[in-house]
Amino acid sequence: MKNFAKLAAAAAVASITAGAALAEGLYTPNLAYRTGPFAATGIPLMNGQKDYIEMLNARDGGVGGVKIEFEECETGYSTQKGVECYEKTKGEAIVTQPWSTGITLQVLPKTNVDMIPILAPGYGFSPMMDGKTFQWAFNVPSGYWDGASMILQYLQGQGDLKGKKIAFLHLDHPYGKEPLPLLEANADTMGYELLPIPVGLKEMQNQSAQWLQIRRARPDYVVMWGWGAMNAGAITEAVKTKYPMENMIGVWWSGHDADLRLVGDKGKGYKSISWSFPELESQAMADIKKHVVDTGKTLSNEEEMQGVFYGRGVVMSMILAEGIKVAQEKYGVGEINAEQLRWGLENLNITEERLAELGMSGMVAPFSTSCSNHTGHSGGWMLEWDGTKFVKVSDHLSPDTSGYADLAATKAAEYAEANAPWPVNDSCGG
Amino acid sequence: MLYRTAGQFKTSYQADQALFPVRQDAVLLAVILAFAYVIFPLTASEFTFQTLLIPILIYSLAALGLNILTGFAGQLSLGTAAFMGVGAYACYKMITLMPWMNPILAILFSGVFSAGVGVAFGIPSLRIKGFYLAIATLAAQFFLVWLFEKWAWLYNYNASGAIQVPNLDIFGIYVAGPLASSITQYYVVLGIVTLLTVICINLTRGNLGRTWKATRDMDIAAELIGINLMKSKLTAFAVSSYIVGVAGALFVFMWRGAAEPNLFDIPLSFQILFIAIIGGLGSVMGNYLGAILIVGLPVLLNLVPETLGIPIKSATVEHLNIMIVGSLIVFFLIVEPHGLAQLWRLIREKLIIWPFPH
Repeated sequence: MKNFAKLAAAAAVASITAGAALAEGLYTPNLAYRTGPFAATGIPLMNGQKDYIEMLNARDGGVGGVKIEFEECETGYSTQKGVECYEKTKGEAIVTQPWSTGITLQVLPKTNVDMIPILAPGYGFSPMMDGKTFQWAFNVPSGYWDGASMILQYLQGQGDLKGKKIAFLHLDHPYGKEPLPLLEANADTMGYELLPIPVGLKEMQNQSAQWLQIRRARPDYVVMWGWGAMNAGAITEAVKTKYPMENMIGVWWSGHDADLRLVGDKGKGYKSISWSFPELESQAMADIKKHVVDTGKTLSNEEEMQGVFYGRGVVMSMILAEGIKVAQEKYGVGEINAEQLRWGLENLNITEERLAELGMSGMVAPFSTSCSNHTGHSGGWMLEWDGTKFVKVSDHLSPDTSGYADLAATKAAEYAEANAPWPVNDSCGG
Repeated sequence: MLYRTAGQFKTSYQADQALFPVRQDAVLLAVILAFAYVIFPLTASEFTFQTLLIPILIYSLAALGLNILTGFAGQLSLGTAAFMGVGAYACYKMITLMPWMNPILAILFSGVFSAGVGVAFGIPSLRIKGFYLAIATLAAQFFLVWLFEKWAWLYNYNASGAIQVPNLDIFGIYVAGPLASSITQYYVVLGIVTLLTVICINLTRGNLGRTWKATRDMDIAAELIGINLMKSKLTAFAVSSYIVGVAGALFVFMWRGAAEPNLFDIPLSFQILFIAIIGGLGSVMGNYLGAILIVGLPVLLNLVPETLGIPIKSATVEHLNIMIVGSLIVFFLIVEPHGLAQLWRLIREKLIIWPFPH
């Protein structure tokens, strides 16, 4: 028992000093996971994020002349570690990048109290698009409902969905269940039959039961919401059961080059909806090569940098940097605080011209946010694996947001009610 | 020196059987309680509350519950996390169905549900023992987590399948949910943990505790001297699951704020089992020592490089951390296979006879 007092006293001292050690430039921590079961998919994304910011620091001296301190706090995808990181960084941080649905769920209710914006590019709770209710959360440039809507649109483009059977292979976890309400709602209007097939966290690598079910049900399409080891498991099983690859479509997190490289040519035709695309010839990538890779500051490698995930990481950091820039211009200060960054993220306007200026044309579709729209609904492209890499196979697809605006509003209202008293930003119109 | 017992005479059996036969123990405990109740709350930062003080207390309580079953009554259980889940989901349902309910009462009452479930899964213990019983509790673990996932009523048909703690107040002070301050939550946790610890100490020293220990040491002999094994084993399951359930409710309501079913999966059960084993089976204090080692130490180790200004990548720190904590566990188990509590017991004995060892 003696040890307890000593340890706790040491903890108190350590935490005070830890808090004071920071504060230089703009502190934007990233709750990364380079360890644990999801590290393989996490690392390329985190490298992309980190390298873009390092490039900005080296090329422009940060954003608006202020250096960005982009620090990673390792979570290993564990919610407990994530909350630890959040508590550790929230004193100085101007943004939280929680990086897992579990951590997002934990941190989301605290944001109104701590007043730190959550930047969750392409993940998290879909109703977060309702900026009135979720004042501090941003899932730019596309949420999961956008993704599901785009996939359905693409499938409709391939032929009427009436009477078709769509299997929805998903991780049995908040993340995998996210698009279910939308897919269910559309099943009636579009006339397809939805067959949800959950994959438990423990069965990710052994999906023989699920694929047996798919073989028996013979769905016309398989839509997949997988992450980490589940993707590779599903793709190898699909190859093994000889499911026609061109009828299998994943969400953006299920389009990892390394997973497809495992099956190579046999994976030809596999598709993944994506709001980002790696333009290897773009100016931004060239600058990263010049300022970060050639100076040996990167943790990435040649092969990884050509992948979809690395490029997506770059886009994520671009969105953060743009948010900072918009806020700096509005408030006329370099060292903005969390509240000012919130305004910045809420008033993003990423146009085609701006993307060209940034040297990122084609890496993400143009989008803009507003105080009531925290997602932006950029839309995206259908990517297809050609045996060695992902290529665009569709024109730009825009989600049909009107189809689920009501659903989002209801879910947001439910959330606010369950967490009462929950402040709603009534001042913003539309 | 510090632990000199000279001059402390016992003149009655009662005094000899007292909780603190040596005065210094009582003083030490008073100092620790003073730290816990006064000094930590005054000095701790938000970070310390959220990552050290509150989780250590909650994990200690869960390990204490397991220790009643495994350490005192000798019934190995691998389903602790699932019973914590029962407590958490029961508390969530009570709070959402009856929002007027006092949250602290709801937390204390939620243990009753997990006690019921625990007894149901404890019934096989009347026929099977040891590893076979461990498999039966493992079944509870898998079944209950599956139930948390599939029974949508439990999480109020939330689309994401997770439970979220609403803002709850007692007389206008928020005790749970995002608006609650850490210090309030800390005091609630500390109060409940203290209460249950006192009850456990008394239970294990009393008639029931002796029955459990007899069952643990040799159940046939216990039966022969007239101990009702069914009663003994089932009360152990009930008391243990009650405490574990309360710990689960505290875990979600006073600390995490949200939970998804797989939070209560087997890694958490193992973590709590490790706390109980490393702390010392059959000891109350050991649970606290074990929780400090397993829950607190990694957090502290994470801070070391930053505090000393050593630039290491946070992923590397995490790898180092796992290695250091792992080797410490091995080290402590080699030095003292009976756990940290036994280590402290030996140190204390040495202090008492110091400087004249036999």
